[in-house]
Amino acid sequence: MDTSQYLDIFLDESKEHLQNLSDQIMELEQNPENMDTINEIFRAAHSLKGMAGTMGYKRMQTLTHDMENVFSEVRNGTFKVQPGMIDVLFKCLDALEEYVNNIQQTTEEGTNDNQELIDALNSILKNNGELQPSGAAPQPEISAASVAEEPVANAASGDKKEIWRDIKLNDTERMLVEKAHSEELHAYGLTVYVEEACVLKAARAFLVFKALEKLGEIIVSSPTAQDIEDEKFELTFSLVFISGNTRDEVVAAVKSVSEIEEVFCDEYVLPAAEPEKAAEPEKTEEKPAEEKKTAAAPAAAPAPAAPAAPAAANKPAAKPAAKPVVNRTVRVDIEKLDNLMNLVSELIIAKNSLISATASDGSKGDNGSVNEQIEYLESVTTNLHESVMKVRMVPIESVVAKFPRMIRDLSKKLGKKMELYMTGEDTELDRTVVDEIGDPLMHMLRNSADHGLEPNDVRVANGKPEVGSIFLDAYQDGNNVVIEVRDDGAGINVEAVKNKAIERGTITPEQADTMSDKEIIDLLFLPSFSTAKKVSDVSGRGVGLDVVKSKIESLSGEVEVKNRFGEGSSWIIRLPLTLAIIQALMVVVGDEKYAIALGSIQTIEDVSPDDIKLVQAKEVIHIRGTVIPIIRLNKVLDMEPRADEEDKNLTVIIVKKGDKLAGLVVDELIGQQEVVIKSMGKYIKVPKIISGATILGNGEVALILDTNALF
Amino acid sequence: MDEIKVMDEQKRNEILNRPVEHDTTQYIVTQLGGEQYGIDIKYISNIIRMTKITRVPKVSNYIKGVINVRGVVIPTISLRLKMGLPEDVISKKTRIIILTLEQHESIGVLVDEVKEVVTLDEEHIERMGYEKDDKERFLSGVGKSDGKLISLLDITSVLAEVVDA
Repeated sequence: MDTSQYLDIFLDESKEHLQNLSDQIMELEQNPENMDTINEIFRAAHSLKGMAGTMGYKRMQTLTHDMENVFSEVRNGTFKVQPGMIDVLFKCLDALEEYVNNIQQTTEEGTNDNQELIDALNSILKNNGELQPSGAAPQPEISAASVAEEPVANAASGDKKEIWRDIKLNDTERMLVEKAHSEELHAYGLTVYVEEACVLKAARAFLVFKALEKLGEIIVSSPTAQDIEDEKFELTFSLVFISGNTRDEVVAAVKSVSEIEEVFCDEYVLPAAEPEKAAEPEKTEEKPAEEKKTAAAPAAAPAPAAPAAPAAANKPAAKPAAKPVVNRTVRVDIEKLDNLMNLVSELIIAKNSLISATASDGSKGDNGSVNEQIEYLESVTTNLHESVMKVRMVPIESVVAKFPRMIRDLSKKLGKKMELYMTGEDTELDRTVVDEIGDPLMHMLRNSADHGLEPNDVRVANGKPEVGSIFLDAYQDGNNVVIEVRDDGAGINVEAVKNKAIERGTITPEQADTMSDKEIIDLLFLPSFSTAKKVSDVSGRGVGLDVVKSKIESLSGEVEVKNRFGEGSSWIIRLPLTLAIIQALMVVVGDEKYAIALGSIQTIEDVSPDDIKLVQAKEVIHIRGTVIPIIRLNKVLDMEPRADEEDKNLTVIIVKKGDKLAGLVVDELIGQQEVVIKSMGKYIKVPKIISGATILGNGEVALILDTNALF
Repeated sequence: MDEIKVMDEQKRNEILNRPVEHDTTQYIVTQLGGEQYGIDIKYISNIIRMTKITRVPKVSNYIKGVINVRGVVIPTISLRLKMGLPEDVISKKTRIIILTLEQHESIGVLVDEVKEVVTLDEEHIERMGYEKDDKERFLSGVGKSDGKLISLLDITSVLAEVVDA
């Protein structure tokens, strides 16, 4: 056991705290007087500090400590929140994030002391909230403030008790104590109180154990060491400890661990037997070497002898108020879930083969009970699949939560006033999709902020509200999740795009004349196309939208643009809920089987060949008032049409993409089936109309058609 | 996998008992048209009988399609078409050799027949010069075994071109 096993928890929780801090500071900027916010910030900063201290990340600890100091004063009403202060705090957050990232990559926090920020914080403290950058560099008063050692608690105070007195020793343990006494060693009883706000109690306890093992031997602990390791204890634990060191030394060792609130320590007196009190108080050198308990784990870094006192001094922070209701959760490695998902896929394939095996076997008499069991199996596998999918779903909140901060920074950088309004942060998507969706969304928001919204004065001149609005809406739509980034800015200037495209030679002027607005807007998604006149570090390098598009497409999603020139534009991302298993309609084209995702199918029509009309040399059908183009799949898939079926009715599958429809002509329908999408490997450059492959019940491979590519 | 049995017992023992030398390489000898080609055994993960190959539309003609090997979808190419030989004639002896290169995924290669495993000494291999004609650019050399000539396929360059295509 060493601290590295806490690293994952530390990273996860640090990120949570940082996000929380960021949200709260945003909130604070709006409502500088809100005490709840200030308390929440204080709490988060405090927890971060404690965690960083435990893990031995001193720089991070120092910075959070100073942030905490500032908030402590704000909370006490010494001074009020000022805009300059908010900026400094955000910079601190960035610095902390950098530490955390460094730790994640190298387990080291890096060497950046961020002295400027610490100075800035201290100057805020000194000048009662005013940030005076020109002011003389304040002396590093961190340590001064914190080293003030707390008086060693001698007597049990208040409701805190020396619980160690209740520890019962068994015979062996008694003998050890007696032996210690006879060897002129001390036996101490200790009761350690951990701070209420402490996040990693077990880590704290571990560090205490570690510190004590350096001085002597722990005979017994209550609760047991295992329970302490598993964090099965409240805020306190007690020990019986044998050492040659003095009581003060022992207490100091325990106190060197941060977030320890109180230590009660006294000579352990054997209850029944006549106590043989060791007369000699100090005989440090007598500590026999073998007394040192051989640490089971490779010695972890000793507890940083970090100043622990200020944490204790600021105890009010530990108020358990406003504690969010936490669901009972288990953190699981995503790889394990992938593995589970693969197994479910295999199960579904096996089930499909069972179905096809019994179907071909059906003639041999009564299969009733077998079919019943298969249907049962089918419902179980379907439910199992859904449950596993649900486990993998996470709200997009984790990704979008950082955007308000980003828009705030952009607003300052670009000198435009803007607000971001988000809805549907709780919309859930597959974990792998959520991880990938952040960058594309960020690009689109930056685009809206930079290109979409006009400068404030232009907005006012055009009769719009001065402050621009950007909306990010997420919602579920059938089997898809839709994320819409919308702004009330100028919209896309189609003419400007057209001219730019002609200028760059992307299209010829003749082509431009025949292109629809939509087609021209689609040009924006080509690589290296940017209409921004100025290249800023916000956007305009032409590496944005094509990356967005390819990323979304790699997630089997699509991007659509809706543009109202002068009123704004909206970018609509449509992503499939699941990536691995889909409901599909199996069809036959020629003599090959294909799967078509059920989600894109609107209806299936039986069409007489006479109903097919030609419009501009293209085949269309007229169904319920809509003209729908006909696509003959055998042509698209390079197949000869079946010879004998010239004048038979056609089976036409009507598929939709956005608000467009198309009719696909197939030769036969097989039926609906759950299919597991398999990758086809890197060696084949798969054509766009094929989105993957699947394995059928009989072991054959069937291809999955991507009907979106047909439009 | 059954194909290893094609080797007779004596030959197998001979291979197994042969001391491992550093400059020898084992090749699986395959028949393609009238010639024999050797594939370095280290790339071969499996040899299977002909199975149903699902055609993939709109890809190069030498890519025959995809097959299912124990639940994994693997693309399969025709070595004949890749080498500029006439189209494969599927027979009972036709085999698909599954190759797995490091870092890459698996790929199946269609051959007329799998003959045997040979161990070639470096001194029995004649390396190719730089000037290779169209067919020879996939060869790394020619090996001699029992008086027969075996063209040794340079699998990495065959597959590199598939990836690029």
